[in-house]
Amino acid sequence: MAPARTPLSLYVHWPYCSFLCRFCAFSKARVPAGGVDHALITRALLAELRTSLAPHSRDKELRSIYFGGGTPSLAQPAHVAQIIEQASRLVPLAANAEITLESNPTSAETDKMAAFKAAGITRYSIGIQTLDDGVLQRMGRLHSGAEALAAANRAASLFPGHVSLDMMFGFESQTVDQWQRELETVLAHANGHLSLYQLTVEPGTPLFRDIRAQRVKRNPDDTLALMYETAVALCRSRGLAHYEVSNYAASPEAQSIHNLGYWQGRQWIGIGPSAHSRFIDPASGTCLRTVRIPDIQRWARSCLEHGHGTAKSETVDDAEARQEAVVFGLRMLDGLSNACFMRTGCVSSGALSLAEYLRVDQVQRYLRDGYLRSSGRLDHLAPTERGLQVIDSILLDILP
Amino acid sequence: MATACRYLRKASMKSGGYATKADGLGAEIDITGYTPDRIRNFSIIAHIDHGKSTLADRLLETTGVITKSGKNKQVLDKLKVERERGITVKAQSASMFCEHDGRKYLVNLIDTPGHVDFSYEVSRSLAACQGTILLVDAAQGIQAQTVANFYLAFGEGLAVIPMLNKVDLPTAEPDRAALQIESAFEIDAANIVHLSAKTGLGIGRVLPSVIERIPAPSGSIDAPFKALLFDTWYDKYVGVVCLMAIKDGAVRRGDRVVSMHSGTRYEVMEVGIMHPEQRPATQLQVGQVGYVVCNMKSVAEAHVGDTFHKDKFPVVPLPGFAPAKSMVFAGVFPLDAGEFDKLNESIQKLTLNDSSVAVHKETSAALGQGWRLGFLGTLHMDVFRQRLEEEYDASVLVTAPTVPYRVQYKDGTSKYIQTPADFPTAIEIQDKVDAVMEPFVLATLIFPEQYLGAMLELCTMHRGDIHTHTYLDESRVMLKCRMPTAEMVTDFYDQLKSRSQGFASFDYEDNGYNESDLVKMEVLLNGEAVDALAAVMHRDNVATVGRTMAKRLKDVIRRQLFDIIIQTAANGKVVARETVKQLRKNVTAKCYGGDISRKMKLLNKQKEGKKRMKKIGRVELPQEAFLSVMTGSKE
Repeated sequence: MAPARTPLSLYVHWPYCSFLCRFCAFSKARVPAGGVDHALITRALLAELRTSLAPHSRDKELRSIYFGGGTPSLAQPAHVAQIIEQASRLVPLAANAEITLESNPTSAETDKMAAFKAAGITRYSIGIQTLDDGVLQRMGRLHSGAEALAAANRAASLFPGHVSLDMMFGFESQTVDQWQRELETVLAHANGHLSLYQLTVEPGTPLFRDIRAQRVKRNPDDTLALMYETAVALCRSRGLAHYEVSNYAASPEAQSIHNLGYWQGRQWIGIGPSAHSRFIDPASGTCLRTVRIPDIQRWARSCLEHGHGTAKSETVDDAEARQEAVVFGLRMLDGLSNACFMRTGCVSSGALSLAEYLRVDQVQRYLRDGYLRSSGRLDHLAPTERGLQVIDSILLDILP
Repeated sequence: MATACRYLRKASMKSGGYATKADGLGAEIDITGYTPDRIRNFSIIAHIDHGKSTLADRLLETTGVITKSGKNKQVLDKLKVERERGITVKAQSASMFCEHDGRKYLVNLIDTPGHVDFSYEVSRSLAACQGTILLVDAAQGIQAQTVANFYLAFGEGLAVIPMLNKVDLPTAEPDRAALQIESAFEIDAANIVHLSAKTGLGIGRVLPSVIERIPAPSGSIDAPFKALLFDTWYDKYVGVVCLMAIKDGAVRRGDRVVSMHSGTRYEVMEVGIMHPEQRPATQLQVGQVGYVVCNMKSVAEAHVGDTFHKDKFPVVPLPGFAPAKSMVFAGVFPLDAGEFDKLNESIQKLTLNDSSVAVHKETSAALGQGWRLGFLGTLHMDVFRQRLEEEYDASVLVTAPTVPYRVQYKDGTSKYIQTPADFPTAIEIQDKVDAVMEPFVLATLIFPEQYLGAMLELCTMHRGDIHTHTYLDESRVMLKCRMPTAEMVTDFYDQLKSRSQGFASFDYEDNGYNESDLVKMEVLLNGEAVDALAAVMHRDNVATVGRTMAKRLKDVIRRQLFDIIIQTAANGKVVARETVKQLRKNVTAKCYGGDISRKMKLLNKQKEGKKRMKKIGRVELPQEAFLSVMTGSKE
């Protein structure tokens, strides 16, 4: 029997958006006046894909592919199909691999949904953000709440059990009641998965500037906390289990395999402008983190000339890998197991257990106070709901 | 030779003065021809920025001690903080040779600090002189420090020569300044010398005035050697260097001298003059001022004010000086407990050259191991902290300054309180204490008359008792006010400057102790008293200060996973209470592949920040908490 292949994930960054949201800090660009040069982007992605995946063809299998952006639902389904096909030719697709596409719920994109399914997409993620048409407009989004619900319904029929709806809370002037009502409506249309994000004001965004100039008021921290708590309770009552800070799933199978990979410290390759990767370099055996060129044109040119658009590559040492394993592992309500920590993707030096690594006195205190839970002598460590809500504070205490 | 920095001198020592010894004795200069009648020892006293250091530079240039390069900016002000703040902290000295009426003279300039925090240094510098130049800025007129220093010099019986500087400025009013000098000091300013140290105008009249109007030092070459030690510094190659004024006899290399204070014998390795760096001489003799290197290993052995004589030839000791008295005390702690040893070394090095800092170890429950340091004043404290940070790259936390309160017990004993931790409890005060006394100063304020109202109000607000106010001329007022030292060490100086738009100057002198109704205010975090935040204050201030402190702490303490109750309390009674509510949510909403690096960077930055927090029980106290208690407690 052939040795088991190591799981690998592929992230594909499609950089264009038809509109730019005021809160978005991701790498993106508005669709240029003359339209997107789809052929160029696809050629560049395919070139980078070939170069990046080829070294992994012998011992890896693709567990997930994720088309993110930008707005990948603006891409042509045929090109998406080409990328999936080429990827699976380089590294075999695992049985029931998850292939997600992010989308905006404009009617034009909704019309392409079936074609994406035909192209090989198995999971469909819709950025609803809010159902409040006033807020949608203020945030620069070109769709209505009604269109979003229509898109959700369409997705539910095409990808039953594998639809994810993205919502945000904490917009200016939003009240806890409003949020609860919106979430009730969205829950009625949910089909497997929800991502509920607190609106984060990221430096460099138009929203950040509005808040700094006091054109827009921020909701008080305690109101945001209450919105979060409301979401946790409401989702639970509708059978959606909270499994990561901002993510809820109807069943373990409905959780996002791709995103779990990030939190569990697995390897992934990212292609497309500004995409990140983290993998063990088959040539050297060291763990690398790479970032692609952010500028779309320069990235594409580099891909066509050199086969990739990597801008930066750095080694992740054991200390960083261990720290990351804890920081990301404790974002999940399932937490992380000691066994998993000890062989965390990149750790190559002598194994260290959680009990040896963490500040045990602090861990004990948080266990006692009901912020963390564990089994055995730290065979497994996980946050409680209460702990997850303040996990960033806890991490500062328990990390060495 | 123009870079006469005391600290550079350390580095250049091997190639400098001492190399000449290896070459033989040829480089030693002979100044034995300068008998007392050919010697003048003088100092310059002035308010900050009235041009004392610039005048010193010009004099050193005209006598060829330093070259005229245009780069001579405050040659005698050797510390970075001195140049930055325009103040002289350590007294320096320089010897000059000049000719007057066909005769050669050796003139020694003994520099004095310009701020009264350093009046102790001033008085010891003055003890080595026979006269002083009272330098006044012709545009600004006399200022509070001019007054304080004048009376110090006057008290020593020195000849005082007033001179007006900056007469070239368009705003200069020399006649008015002369009038002020006459009315403030009751000295004749009719033939006052007009100067511009910057342009060199009138410089030629300075040394002749010094020679003509300052008496020659007294003493006899035939009497047994007797010298006053008036300054020292530490040199890492030769140990302690002593500046001495020779009162009788002579001293040379190979002599055995004795400290009258300790009885310790030393062999003289080298003598010489400051020119402006150390320049070896064959002999120092009566009337001269110069340095003596004599195998002294630590500055602690060198008692400023000590009398030295030759072995087996004892003399009647000179009056000497009272040891420097600390006026304010503050706790100094490393920000990071791991840096204790490094900070310990830095403080030791710094106090080698500043023996006026009193050093005691202190342990605070809140801040760990540190020191309680005594300073001559708040400026001295500030300068010390700045030197620690700049010269030794130390990160320190300085607690609120305390003045030395005195507790008189019913059994007749008394105790000085250097830290609020030592302050007796309410019960002790009731049962055992006769009186709690607080130190006072007599403050001198000089300002344009339109600020009289504001200044009177400021003094009253700080529990001041107005003694007199005098018009120095038709528009400048000198106000004398007695007030508790504690009032002066908080925000008095800042308020003085802001209420007078910078026009008021201020100085002070000690003025004894008075009984006072003092209480200790404590800060409690979740019921636990934080020793480092405690403060002793007058009962009348408790309510206001207590409320302000609690509010300020609330603003700087970050939310944690539990409620933090801040209380200020005096005599067991809570004065104010604030709550920092429990942190409800602190988790990054989005964390996917591309966010990892950023998230980790942020996390590590936060971890660093947390390390710098002081922990009181489980409460994390940022550095700002200590600052907030220190500054401006009367809003």
